[in-house]
Amino acid sequence: MSDIASRVKAIIVDKLGVDENEVVNEASFTNDLGADSLDTVELIMEFEKEFDIQIPDDQAENIATVGQAVSYIENAK
Amino acid sequence: MSYNLLKGKRGIIFGALDENSIAWKTAERVHEEGGTFVLTNAPIAMRMGSIKQLAEKTGSEIIPADATKVEDLDNLVEKAQEILGGKLDFVLHSIGMSVNVRKGNHYTDMNYDYTQKGWDVSAVSFHKTMQSLYKQDAMNEWGSIVALTYMAAQRVFPDYNDMADNKAYLESIARSFGYFFGKDKKVRVNTISQSPTPTTAGQGVKGFDGFIAYADKMSPLGNATAMDCANYTISLFSDLTKRVTLQNLYNDGGFSNMGVSQEVMETFMKDNE
Repeated sequence: MSDIASRVKAIIVDKLGVDENEVVNEASFTNDLGADSLDTVELIMEFEKEFDIQIPDDQAENIATVGQAVSYIENAK
Repeated sequence: MSYNLLKGKRGIIFGALDENSIAWKTAERVHEEGGTFVLTNAPIAMRMGSIKQLAEKTGSEIIPADATKVEDLDNLVEKAQEILGGKLDFVLHSIGMSVNVRKGNHYTDMNYDYTQKGWDVSAVSFHKTMQSLYKQDAMNEWGSIVALTYMAAQRVFPDYNDMADNKAYLESIARSFGYFFGKDKKVRVNTISQSPTPTTAGQGVKGFDGFIAYADKMSPLGNATAMDCANYTISLFSDLTKRVTLQNLYNDGGFSNMGVSQEVMETFMKDNE
């Protein structure tokens, strides 16, 4: 696992209070990991802070799974 | 309709997320009545909602603040006075959040870290806000502080979960701090207990539609809307209610004193036919 992927997953485990094993690439924040709208915005803000990037709202809407978050951040860095 | 009730008055409005918010409607009404204010919300709520539009519309500045952080509140109170050009006359606290509700944890199966977060955001934030205002001597005499609450603080609404306890805590803080604010600064502190209202926050409560419809059928005047609440709040910010303090005031179309209504009875009579 890349460094970015492991940091993304650690944030998700911490923020959503889910088990590490559940945080697979295909997992959807809302459908699989129990996130509500507040959680998803909170995750985006945590990613921005952790990786020192800006994720515009229209692009944040397309980040719905763990894998999508990892690849967005990898491209943004 | 505008009555110029708040001409020259300055304040802070917490908790406007989007145009469904009670705080949003209140800000619009305060503006119409001639008051000026600073808007504030948690950084995450600012990102989720559309508070910037409200700021533009009302010519207000926004100061982000996490209402659980004393340093954020101290900064907010200080900056608000600088921006508005003097001490404050009104404050609206319209903040509430339960992680247990959001996560669907039953009342009998709480996560206590979530419980603690919920009461900090929903109730203790009101104490922190008032303590900051009090210590900075930021309120003018005969100023008015209002927080929004719900009747689940007095009666049982099972799906309201730990928010019921948070609201009971909030109402108690209003009385306890209201005593000192009244005695020492001639400032009034009240809570408005509002009908269930279809806001973004309210919709987090399980079975909310049924809850709203029931309250509406039980109330002789029907549910109070967000705009009704804004109007009531304006009256409490105005000089017309100077000696109303330490009160929990129902703005609920009469719901809180009802036993049963004809319409609710008819629902059950039909079932039995």
